[in-house]
Amino acid sequence: MGNRSSLLLREEEIAQIQEATGFTPNQIERLYSRFTSLDRGDCGTLSREDFLRIPELAINPLGERIVNAFFEESGNDRVNFLQFMQVLAHFRPVKKNNPNRLNSRQEKLKFAFKMYDLDNDDLISKDELLAILHMMVGANISEEQLTSIAERTIVEADENGDGMISFEEFCKALERTDVEQKMSIRFLS
Amino acid sequence: MDFNLLTAIICLFSINLVHVDASSYEVKQEPPGHVDTGENSMHGPIVDNQDLPTDLQKPYPGKSFGPMGPIERTVSDDIAGRGNDENLKGVVKDGYPVLSSTSSTKPLREYEVLSVEFQRVETPFIIGIWIFFASLAKIGFHMTPKLSKIFPESCLLIVVGVVVGVLLFQADSVHVSPLTPDTFFLYMLPPIILDAGYFMPNRLFFDHLGTILLFAVLGTIFNTLSIGASLWVLGKSGLFRCETPLLDMFLFSALISAVDPVAVLAVFEEIHVNEILYIVVFGESLLNDAVTVVLYHMFETYSEMGPSRITYTDILSGLASFVVVAIGGTIIGVIWGFATGFVTRFTDEVRVIEPIFIFVMAYLAYLNAEIFHMSGILAITFCGITMKNYVEANISHKSHTTVKYTMKMLSSSSETIIFMFLGVATVNNAHVWNTWFVLMTIFFCSVYRIIGVIVLTALANQFRLHKLDKVEKFVMSYGGLRGAVAFALVLLIDPKHVPLQPMFVTTTIAVIYFTVFIQGITIKPLVKILNVKRAEKRKPTMNERIHERIMDHIMAGIEDIVGKHGNYHVRDKFKRFDNKFIRPFLVRDHRGAEPKILETYSKLAMKDALDYIRRNASTIGNISGTESMSAIFRNYSNTGQFNGSPSCSQLESGWNIDLQELEYNPSKRDLTDARIHHLLAEELCKPYKRHRRLSYSRHAVNDRDLSTQVNYKMHMNIRRMMGEHKHRHKRSKKLAKDGKQNHVSFPEFQQNGSTKLFSQDYMNDVLFESENGETGKPNKEDWESAITFTARTSDSGNQETQPSLVRIPQRESEGECFRVTTPTATETMLPWKREDDYDSGKPIQQNEFPAWCSNKEYLAYSSPSATFLGGIEQPKFQSVIGLFRRDSATSPSGIGSQDGEEDSDKSRTLQNEQNYSPLRDSETSRRSPRRGSMMELGSIDSISKEKSNNGSHSLPECWNAQRLRLTPFASSSKKPSLSTALITSSSESSDFEED
Repeated sequence: MGNRSSLLLREEEIAQIQEATGFTPNQIERLYSRFTSLDRGDCGTLSREDFLRIPELAINPLGERIVNAFFEESGNDRVNFLQFMQVLAHFRPVKKNNPNRLNSRQEKLKFAFKMYDLDNDDLISKDELLAILHMMVGANISEEQLTSIAERTIVEADENGDGMISFEEFCKALERTDVEQKMSIRFLS
Repeated sequence: MDFNLLTAIICLFSINLVHVDASSYEVKQEPPGHVDTGENSMHGPIVDNQDLPTDLQKPYPGKSFGPMGPIERTVSDDIAGRGNDENLKGVVKDGYPVLSSTSSTKPLREYEVLSVEFQRVETPFIIGIWIFFASLAKIGFHMTPKLSKIFPESCLLIVVGVVVGVLLFQADSVHVSPLTPDTFFLYMLPPIILDAGYFMPNRLFFDHLGTILLFAVLGTIFNTLSIGASLWVLGKSGLFRCETPLLDMFLFSALISAVDPVAVLAVFEEIHVNEILYIVVFGESLLNDAVTVVLYHMFETYSEMGPSRITYTDILSGLASFVVVAIGGTIIGVIWGFATGFVTRFTDEVRVIEPIFIFVMAYLAYLNAEIFHMSGILAITFCGITMKNYVEANISHKSHTTVKYTMKMLSSSSETIIFMFLGVATVNNAHVWNTWFVLMTIFFCSVYRIIGVIVLTALANQFRLHKLDKVEKFVMSYGGLRGAVAFALVLLIDPKHVPLQPMFVTTTIAVIYFTVFIQGITIKPLVKILNVKRAEKRKPTMNERIHERIMDHIMAGIEDIVGKHGNYHVRDKFKRFDNKFIRPFLVRDHRGAEPKILETYSKLAMKDALDYIRRNASTIGNISGTESMSAIFRNYSNTGQFNGSPSCSQLESGWNIDLQELEYNPSKRDLTDARIHHLLAEELCKPYKRHRRLSYSRHAVNDRDLSTQVNYKMHMNIRRMMGEHKHRHKRSKKLAKDGKQNHVSFPEFQQNGSTKLFSQDYMNDVLFESENGETGKPNKEDWESAITFTARTSDSGNQETQPSLVRIPQRESEGECFRVTTPTATETMLPWKREDDYDSGKPIQQNEFPAWCSNKEYLAYSSPSATFLGGIEQPKFQSVIGLFRRDSATSPSGIGSQDGEEDSDKSRTLQNEQNYSPLRDSETSRRSPRRGSMMELGSIDSISKEKSNNGSHSLPECWNAQRLRLTPFASSSKKPSLSTALITSSSESSDFEED
């Protein structure tokens, strides 16, 4: 993918990415320049540190998790441009006439679900939820309160009574939410 | 038109006659020197010109305008000849010296026992009367469902106003119009706008701010220019047969092109379109105020200066003033909003004055903006939007309720009055009707609105994630209603500079009528036909709240990675800033970064606790004291439905009307309940008084919305105190009662203090039973069949009432003062009738029961022996989940362990049923959970029948039953106060320990 020596993408690379993600060549070019500007080591791949160097992301309570989502795709500790684009493709707005497997409602939800799923077992346990709440809410709320919020949340969504939220239950809980809308970025359209 | 309306109108009419008389006197009695100035004096009943010297009135521009502009008025001659003239005259003359400084000139004064002095209270009285009757008219509409289904309320109010106006007109009275621009802008508009701003869905508003601004600014300017230019061109062609100067046309088009927030609110609140559509149209109507005000003042000034003297700098300063007016208004509003937050931070000692800050400071923001000729509407809107976030965190729960109700009340009454006055103001003889002008104005208004919407949505869609589609475009253009703002503005035009003013007034009224009536009436069916997505009002669940926040964070993160700064990024930044710098200063008790999550949690927890206590109090078997609230909820939710609509079966078993059953509650079970109750009490605040939920109309605010705050400590202290006190008290009673216990025919379970106390009725039943030679166990089979019998015949009310009628005399002969009512046939059929008995009857024993006791599940599984024996057979601290599942699922397998106890339970149930003739519905439903165990007991055939019988209940039927049963329950459960409940439970537990 991203060639070490050149900043420009080759035609067939663009075509391949377009095929895989549904981005337009224009967007790919734009995002590629973003990618290279993030890539401090100029090695065509991004490391965790590269991501966390973005100041806002560093203070985003979920920054760590979001960055992690990029690396889960790749499986190792570097992210190449295609993988980068594949993750971003989740946030393209849903188009009725142009369905794409990456930006469907299901995939968007999956992405959100993965935020919680710290141990990758496809279930959100109470502890995982609690950990995320900790990141989000911060220190000013008592532990008991957070615990009861987490418990309450799980109880609410839990349908089969295993004390965990599965992906299906997660989707069910967000049935009424306009996920397509909420998890889309306009300029990725 | 229905009767209420007519009465209201007639009353209004008569009141106004009185008023006219009085005001005539007012003029007449003025010292001679002042009479001539009376020509310029005011005539609106609302405007208080009495206290003001007449020459002071001139500086108030609005006051010199009648409904149709300035009205020449002389002292009228027709004041004589009314029946009550003589009376009034005498009275006024008597009263006059008291009011005026010339009292010394009055010769003799006698003390009057009774005197009438209408004049002194005239103005406030008339205001009160207007409000009163306008509100009465509103009640009238809602009593005629057909009428209010077809017409929006605004139309009906205008019609009433017109009728009143016609009556006034026919009565030859002077033109009394209360709707002067000043009263409108200073008193009537602010409450409506504040209400809109304060309850504005912030997030939605700011998400669509771009689109809203586009429409509010560009759309309004486009409309103004195009309508003005078109009318001018047509005027040039001579169609209107009058001079139509360009600037006058622009002045007119500036006021006529603005979408009116009052009219839009009135119509859109009724049609419930989806929130995006609503916020776009409504936001536009709010924000275009700045544009309208600027354009209006600009053209007004220009037309006063005359076209020849306008320079380019004037035009440029006009543009600059737009920025100043809009931004200035917004900033003033935001500053006042922050100030309100800051002030309420320190009100924790004086809670009662919290609401007044919100109202007064918002109003001050409005006036403050008006002082500088900024947009008052923008100021108060943004004041509301800003203050809400911080004020809500500071004020108490009760203040919140007060604010909410007061705001709704004020805004809806001003709205009512505005529309009604609009109608009244219509009727006069100063109209200058120019058919072509009116028609062309309406035509251009509609056409340019549509064109504007189409062009601007095309523009907006370039930048929008959610594209506005055709239907939405249509609703947006069709929802461009004109209203009272335009009317008030047109009255403000000075006819000296703009000779066409009367024609403008007439045309404005025509346009308002067209939009409010034709568009307002047709928009509802059109929305239905076009299948516009409707709004669904709901409270967010915990999951939604948390996950949506997570999504916001994700999106902000992704935006950062992509390197584009979109909505999420900005919001994220603001939130961080807010939490770090603003909140700590404005919020008293700043807790964490996600107040919304906490708020949702406490709301939901409160709601759950209430539902739970009411419905399922004793379903759960043993809960160890350490288990948390959520543990209970976990079990609770295992029955399937958690939020909102509980399943039918759950409801069926949820209520218990047959309050006598409570006497059988065994202490052990009570103990569990007590424990649950303690849990609830500790984790949450006390469940406040239960209102009858299902009897809410759409005009009531749901109490559940209001509960946000929790007070643990206080509650715990009270509970401890009361518990200790009662404990001693109970003990003595226990001793006194010991003798009686011998008679209890279920010696295998021990009663302890509280149960005994409550079980008088029950014991008498038992006594009665044992006299008849019946005991629990041996006759088990009889009772079995008897139960089945009752269930089967539950379809016919007669059979059921029969046994109870037989039995009650016997009971009474025992000399016990039973509080059991003899259910008549009506009562059996109409369960809510019983409520009256409970309410009006003596202070009943019922009161001693904790509210959460009155639960059906007691009957099903909480037979005293059931718990007790069950406890022997099984380890007491079994899994709660298991217990709950068994109970709620009514699965035969789960109940197996209990069948031993079931029979005694049933025997008592039966007794009870016969004595009390329970409802048919509750009868069947109550039985249903017991089916499982009965099967095991062997009488399967009868049960299967019963089962099918039960199964045939359709869902709505169950709901109805539920509804019927709810009422008596609600009333009865209200009675035992929480403290009683606590006393009972705590004393019970202590008693039990001693046993």
